Amino acid sequence: MLTPYLVGLLVLVLLPALVTLGMAFTDYDLLRPPSWAGLDNFTALVDDPIFRVALLNSVVFALVAVPLRVLLALGLALLLHRRAPGVGTARTVALLPTAVPEIAYGLLWLWLFNPLYGPINQLLRVGGEHGLTALGRTPPQWLTDPTSARAGIILMSLFTVGETFVVLLAARRALPRDVYEMAAVEDATGWDVFRRITLPLMAPVLALLAVRDAVASLHFTFVPAFVVTDGGPPPYATTYLSLFVYQTGFEYLRYGYAAAATLVMMLLTLAAVLVQWRLIRRYRRFYQL
Amino acid sequence: MSGLVLDGVSAAYRDTTVLHEVRLTVSRGELLVVLGPSGAGKSTVLRVVAGLEPVTAGRVHIAGRDVTEARPGRRNVSMVFQSYALFPHLTVVENIAFGLEVRDTPRGEARQRARAAAETVGCAGLLDRRPGQLSGGERQRVALARALVREPDVFLLDEPLSNLDLALRAEMRAELRALHDRIGATMVHVTHDQTEALVLADRIAVLRDGRVEQVGTPDEIWRTPASTFVARFVGSPAMNLLPADGPLRPGGEAPTLPDEPLEIGFRPEAVILDAAEGTPATVDRVEVIGEDAYAYLTLSAGQPVVARVPAVRRPERGATVRLDVRWADTHLFHVASGRRCDP
Repeated sequence: MLTPYLVGLLVLVLLPALVTLGMAFTDYDLLRPPSWAGLDNFTALVDDPIFRVALLNSVVFALVAVPLRVLLALGLALLLHRRAPGVGTARTVALLPTAVPEIAYGLLWLWLFNPLYGPINQLLRVGGEHGLTALGRTPPQWLTDPTSARAGIILMSLFTVGETFVVLLAARRALPRDVYEMAAVEDATGWDVFRRITLPLMAPVLALLAVRDAVASLHFTFVPAFVVTDGGPPPYATTYLSLFVYQTGFEYLRYGYAAAATLVMMLLTLAAVLVQWRLIRRYRRFYQL
Repeated sequence: MSGLVLDGVSAAYRDTTVLHEVRLTVSRGELLVVLGPSGAGKSTVLRVVAGLEPVTAGRVHIAGRDVTEARPGRRNVSMVFQSYALFPHLTVVENIAFGLEVRDTPRGEARQRARAAAETVGCAGLLDRRPGQLSGGERQRVALARALVREPDVFLLDEPLSNLDLALRAEMRAELRALHDRIGATMVHVTHDQTEALVLADRIAVLRDGRVEQVGTPDEIWRTPASTFVARFVGSPAMNLLPADGPLRPGGEAPTLPDEPLEIGFRPEAVILDAAEGTPATVDRVEVIGEDAYAYLTLSAGQPVVARVPAVRRPERGATVRLDVRWADTHLFHVASGRRCDP
């Protein structure tokens, strides 16, 4: 029963991972056979300004986007966990962007972000004159200005929180009802209930989701950066690690070098998983009810 | 001055009415036990008092205040839930102090009072543990301490002993009664356990299908049940009920019976077996519980009767016995309404 899964794991994950590990210590360009390079690729990475920018971009993205994404999903889950008219529709709407294929999602945003014709800037120009906003400022140039482009990619990621939202919705609905009734009898305010009950009880799930999101952010920055900004605007404003690896490997045919960068990415992931594991151990006692 | 008044309170869950014009008065310092089978609306009574469930008709007064429209936090009640509803992420002392801290009592004072409340119920040694590390009985005490700490007008206890094992339940029952006598608080205690009700209560309100069937002291409930329902619900095994003109004629001085269909009821302990003159019956089975034995009999006319006899004098299974009851030990009920008849 497990065989297809095991074959898939072996052929699609383990073998490529091993090949990548080996390739990271070689020079390989598809034309000539790989030649041993030792740690050259890694020392080159340390000195590579583009790699450093990509690493920084990825870390900054994770630091800004991940907390925002989890908070947004938490807000939606707390807003929509009760049964009420329209809640079902609202939940579907919250989930829908996550279900759009990534490339289509990227192309959609390319249109939304268009500085002249895009709906976002048209909305920002409402009430203003001569193509300015109501406050008399120039609307953002989104994909051509480095800061706006980074913000744009983060904005794009904020609408694909469907999975996180669903997990948090389930987690909130699993919390015991009488604990909240207890709080009502004790006249706890909404803020007290959130701060003293909901947040601590959901903390383990929130922490797990944040770590998971941080790992996944290494990957889900790829399509927007590839489709929408192509790593630009200069200087490499939205070149993230995933795009850096892709370009190094498949555009510049420096497979050994790309493999070394991939290895760095994997080490980052490993660190995140270790944090995750520690969190699970630490919070396990909460569930000894 | 009454601690709690329910004045014709009705409540509904979706389209089903679960309480029908319930009238109850609990005096200040009284312990009222609401007793009834599951689904009778016992918990709903508590939830209506706490404000967790809205009323569809009637008024709720607590300590002379009309709180019908007030939100739960404004009613000055405290509640012990069946599940205890302890916060798993807080320590015992934090759990007890919760109600004070969300009401902006300074932290130091809240902890001080939490400690005092914990001492009152005997869980002062657990203050730094979390609920996950406590036994059922210990959690029970913490939940009680949390209810005590705020000195509310009314304590609401929703089957607080039902999750404990038998020995612990008996122990906590006695402690709960002692606690009530010590602090003199107004308490409403919900249970389906008749023993608990008889032992704990100043007065018992028997609830059936959302209606109050009878309110009275444990003695009144036991000695003068107002209906066949109360008669059979309180007492184990249940009271025997037979047609008054039926196969069994009680001995002794008969009262003058009104001319309408009646039932006579008598408890298993009122049955006299091996009477010289009595109604013949066969023994179907005998249950021995220590010193007592319960004989399950069938009268020759087919009605079942249970009798309690000393275990040493129990009849054999399959034997024929003659049984008798005294009029003084019987209760009369109208067949049509099921209500008590006192001729």
